Amino acid sequence: MGRAARIFLPVAASCLIAAVITVRLPLPRVALQRASPERSDGGKPDTTYLKPDAAPLKPDTTHKTVLLSRQLMAEAGVNVGDVVTLAADANGTRGGTFLVAGMYEPVPDPRKFSAKRLEARLHLPDLIALTEDTNDPGSSDQVSALNLSLANKQDADAVASALARRVPGMTAASTSRPGGLDDPFAVLERFHEAIAIVTVTGSTAFLLALMVMRAEERREIIGILRLMGIRSRSILVEVLLEGLLIAVAGAIFGVLLAVAAQSLVNRFFQWRYDTTLVFVRVTTSIAWKAVAFAVPLGVVAGLAASWTLLRRSVVSLVRR
Amino acid sequence: MTPIVEGRGLTRTFSMSSGPVTALRDVSMLISPGEYVAITGPSGCGKSTLLHLLGCVDAPTSGSLYFEGRDAAALSESERSRIRLTRIGFVFQRFFLLPMLDAWENVELPQAEIGGDAVKRRSRTRELLDYVGLGDRVHHRPSQLSGGEMQRVAIARALANRPALLLADEPTGELDEDTGAQIADLFDRVHADGTAIVVVTHNPLLAARATRHLTMARGTLQASPR
Amino acid sequence: MTSRALAWRTVTAERSRAVLAVAGVAVIGALLFDMLLLSRGLLVSFRQMLDTAGYDVRVVASEAFPIRSPIPEASPVAADVARLPEVRDVTIVRTDRALVLIQGRGPTEVELLNLTVGAERRVWRLTAGQDLGPRVRTKTSSSPAVISRGLAESLTLAPGSTFRLRVIVSGVASALPPATFEVIGIADFHFAAANEHAVATTFDAFQGVRGSTASDAADVILVASRPEVESASTVAAIERQRPDVRAYSNDEVVARFDENGFAYFRQISFVLSSITLGFAFLLVGTLLTVSVNQRLGQVAALRALGFPRRRIAAMLAWESAWLVGVGGLLSLPVGWALALQLDRILRQMPNISDELHFFVFEPRIAVWHLGLLAATGVAAAVYPVWIATRLPIAATLRLETVS
Repeated sequence: MGRAARIFLPVAASCLIAAVITVRLPLPRVALQRASPERSDGGKPDTTYLKPDAAPLKPDTTHKTVLLSRQLMAEAGVNVGDVVTLAADANGTRGGTFLVAGMYEPVPDPRKFSAKRLEARLHLPDLIALTEDTNDPGSSDQVSALNLSLANKQDADAVASALARRVPGMTAASTSRPGGLDDPFAVLERFHEAIAIVTVTGSTAFLLALMVMRAEERREIIGILRLMGIRSRSILVEVLLEGLLIAVAGAIFGVLLAVAAQSLVNRFFQWRYDTTLVFVRVTTSIAWKAVAFAVPLGVVAGLAASWTLLRRSVVSLVRR
Repeated sequence: MTPIVEGRGLTRTFSMSSGPVTALRDVSMLISPGEYVAITGPSGCGKSTLLHLLGCVDAPTSGSLYFEGRDAAALSESERSRIRLTRIGFVFQRFFLLPMLDAWENVELPQAEIGGDAVKRRSRTRELLDYVGLGDRVHHRPSQLSGGEMQRVAIARALANRPALLLADEPTGELDEDTGAQIADLFDRVHADGTAIVVVTHNPLLAARATRHLTMARGTLQASPR
Repeated sequence: MTSRALAWRTVTAERSRAVLAVAGVAVIGALLFDMLLLSRGLLVSFRQMLDTAGYDVRVVASEAFPIRSPIPEASPVAADVARLPEVRDVTIVRTDRALVLIQGRGPTEVELLNLTVGAERRVWRLTAGQDLGPRVRTKTSSSPAVISRGLAESLTLAPGSTFRLRVIVSGVASALPPATFEVIGIADFHFAAANEHAVATTFDAFQGVRGSTASDAADVILVASRPEVESASTVAAIERQRPDVRAYSNDEVVARFDENGFAYFRQISFVLSSITLGFAFLLVGTLLTVSVNQRLGQVAALRALGFPRRRIAAMLAWESAWLVGVGGLLSLPVGWALALQLDRILRQMPNISDELHFFVFEPRIAVWHLGLLAATGVAAAVYPVWIATRLPIAATLRLETVS
């Protein structure tokens, strides 16, 4: 194995450490914001995700219209223009017929990514008519949630508190409030950080082993340099510069490896769960963090391995 | 008497990035049982290359080599390994002892590779270490021995399986004159006990101990092979 | 000296290197072990949790399980199910959300719970006071309640304490008055999440506080099959008897959760296990390759002395085996300690029962783990063995002599 391999191997070790730090799973919150479409306004379809059918829809005033998710249409074998029956009960009671006016792609939801998105969108009056309880006069005026868009987003918390005071029993919350410690994504982030710490610890042990071996390889050379009168400090500076070069090269390569892995992981999960969610995102700050961590680690490992050698007597260094 | 090793028209060419280099040109020679042959010559004349061919460590580019009458080219790699283990002993300039084993273990290692009775192995190991004058250093590791002592352990290791032929490549190359003389004395004893020896050396005192002296220059033998 | 012994001597010749390499394998191996545990842990734990209560079938109102839709007339359904020859025991479970009100403190949200009499000990474990039952008596005229330990600690309640409780009616400004309850016992509820509080009470008190004395709705009916009967047979019998409900065996419940909620962890486990194995392969392979590279002269000398290729290969394979073997064995206790920490992190998620764990030890997982590590060790040795057995002896000797 030649010189190229001797340089490559420690570089590879450094890059593995950098790669682990950058590949952190998942950050679907970012994906949700990025994928945020224009919301439905007054019952109009969400045109960002509407996939127009090839054949134009014939005007039909007989049936009410419904939009079905892509997944539901594939599962049920339904096409745009078909007439379907939707019922609130499993035995078919409390139902009605609807014309499938279009197909839409459900907004990727990190909290539902593993579920099959078998969904339908109806006009609100149609949905209420389908699901209301005839024994409950209030059910015709009942919804599960109201989404508000504020003129000033900074007022979100204040508006939520005011609503909760005015309508006891109702929960109002800002959608942009960061989750607490028990927020599932915060928990997953801590989980992945723990795994990253463990992986880096294991890799550091290997890196140190490799550096010790490399230092031992140069034992005689270092001994000869010391015999010639070159000071330990000068040798350490040389080791430092060499280690810095290798660590920087390794860290950069590691980030590139992480970017490639990001693509593979995202493709795998997007295929597996039929979603457009992004599971791994190597951001600039993450890449810098990885480099900032891997470079000093590589340099310190090299220095530590060489330091133990430089502390030995010159005679023991040159002796076979 | 069947020669131990016979080379006919041995040529060895190495492919280098700067072009082919012929280290050995059409060399023919013969080593009889019990002979003590010294090969000398300037650096780069092909002495070590010839030694490697005689020891079945390397194969000639052309020509043929016979070890105890067997064509080395017709042998498989495992058969050649077996010959090196049982019929040839090697002594290197840089000793090449295993650093994690002590003197005793280094000498016992080739015997263990053949197998056989453990009691006989221990007896042979003790005998060899006494033979080379290191009976009181048996549990010392190479790092605890001097250069001359390491070479003596290497010689004992080479003799472990009672080889017919001992090949030594610059055995005193890294030793001082006095220590070199001790090694030369040891080789005399080995020769006297009937083992054929071929030694490649720059040391004229060691070369003078041999019964036959061959000189090489530019890949060819300058003196008569017999 | 055997190849195994020679390899051991080689590995231990450089102590610091050996210790670091073994430590590296132990840590990476620990991560691999944990990812293998994670691949099945939650499912195994969930299954254990379902089985602990002793019920193997669940009856709900609709196909939309686990989304809850109440069974409107639960008592006749339970009676019909109890009459089946396959069934040993039936328990009706009614739940609702409520607020516990104590003077001077803010309202505390709890799950209000009622079970068929006699089923209490299956769903919770009493730790203080007395349990609900037909002969329970309170000191005051209040309704009896068994509360969760977390609620007792949070509100400083003990047997004999009283509190007011009002049911939450979602989406409506409720005018239901609160009712007063007396704590008769404190218990650990098997299915309650760590951050959830529970209050269990009698059927009359439950109906009373909900203002729905006429309602016989229940969330789920739990069924225990006779020991000699398979759960699937009980499910089939229930659905024949009562086509208006849907029955699920524990196996089916676990399978449904496996498809949905647990799938993410299985996928993560697969991805991280693969990455970890690749890591271990690269790291051990790199270490061995560099080690062989440093000993080419020795290897060439051994080959010149007559040691066959297979002996050299065996020696290197054993070196890999020692590093990966010792590290692998150490990785089991290290991995288990790490698993406890990772489990503690993941269980901070909301609505995770105290009895649910993400990492559950199974002996076969340890066997898989050691097998995978062994295969990795063998694979990592392939390239260094190839280098050592294919090196040109004469050229290497020459190079080592002049370098």
